[in-house]
Amino acid sequence: MHIPDGFLSPAITVPATVATVPLWIYSARRHFGPNQVESLPAIGTLTALAFVIQTIMIPVPGGTSTHLLGVPLLALQFHPLVAFVCESLVLLVQALFFGAGGITVLGVNSLCMGLFGSLTAWLVYRILRRASERLAVIVASYLAMQVSAGTVALALGLQHWLSPDHFPTPFAVTFTAMMIPSLTVAGVLEAAYSVVALSLLRRVRPHG
Amino acid sequence: MARPRGGRALLLGWLVAIFALSALRDPALLAGLLVVAALVFVRGSLSVWRKVLIAVVPITLGLTLSSFLWLRLRDGRAPNFVPFLGLGLRATLIAFVSLSVLARLDLFRALAAWPTLTRLLVITLAQIHALRRIALESLLGLRSRLPRKPRTRDVVRGAGGITASLFTLGQRNARDLTDAMRSRGF
Repeated sequence: MHIPDGFLSPAITVPATVATVPLWIYSARRHFGPNQVESLPAIGTLTALAFVIQTIMIPVPGGTSTHLLGVPLLALQFHPLVAFVCESLVLLVQALFFGAGGITVLGVNSLCMGLFGSLTAWLVYRILRRASERLAVIVASYLAMQVSAGTVALALGLQHWLSPDHFPTPFAVTFTAMMIPSLTVAGVLEAAYSVVALSLLRRVRPHG
Repeated sequence: MARPRGGRALLLGWLVAIFALSALRDPALLAGLLVVAALVFVRGSLSVWRKVLIAVVPITLGLTLSSFLWLRLRDGRAPNFVPFLGLGLRATLIAFVSLSVLARLDLFRALAAWPTLTRLLVITLAQIHALRRIALESLLGLRSRLPRKPRTRDVVRGAGGITASLFTLGQRNARDLTDAMRSRGF
């Protein structure tokens, strides 16, 4: 889902990176504590967990497969800012060690997938959980996936609007290409996965 | 093996270069730079090209073809090919330069000036390695227990179960690592 290097110009990537850095620092300090001894293992382990969740491939009818995001699950289990820090680090590790994604677009991808997606999951869950816990998890995870895909499409659409010569694909095409798989397959699978994983987690740790 | 200072300079140079390259649009200039990059980073370039083909070509080709189809249907004529060519060349060039530089860089030595980031990356990579093995073995176990090929529902259920175990294990690992770091004077 994430945007590769070269698709966005510095007109978008530089402000996004500048906006993201203080947010990373604030989120890491707030949720992992200023003490390195306490915070580094927790951040590292949760990031590794998010990374591994994203490597679990789910077969999709038609012979292909998709992967889970895991961001809604982290947001619901911990906090959206925890999910944001972990997803940003996943993107950094992918870019530096696995040759996927990119460094110039790290800020944009972190905001779209790590922050907006996880905030959506968390807010929707808090609104709906009194009606039905399970429904709240399903709707929160499904909408988080749609918001992540939608904001990625919006970032690319903004680039097309700023300079069609830089990114020639019109917003309508990008949005359609991002949203159809997200609405029909990825969102449904993410919601199903979050429900199963959270119910198992609650069974293992009823007060967790 | 890169010296720490040389590695740091290469790392910073690469960061500046990829941001600068991401601003370029002229296909002729991008093609020229791609040739220069291919000549500069000729050693070990076969595996880098293979990774670039996997990482860049499918997404740029998919977007280009769908855009062409959409614009042709909307306007009744094929759109200008030059910006699409520029996009493909730019994405390829940045991916090639990044992978070539990272293959030549001892990242941990280059990051030695930032010990917190280095420690975080070491912990993360070690945990990724351990958790990936556990996840893979659990999924293989799931497959071996089923008399047929696992369906989507089976994999989602299996992934949920694995994640629950990984969460518990991850938190235990974080506690153990904290204790280990504390006992070593961090």
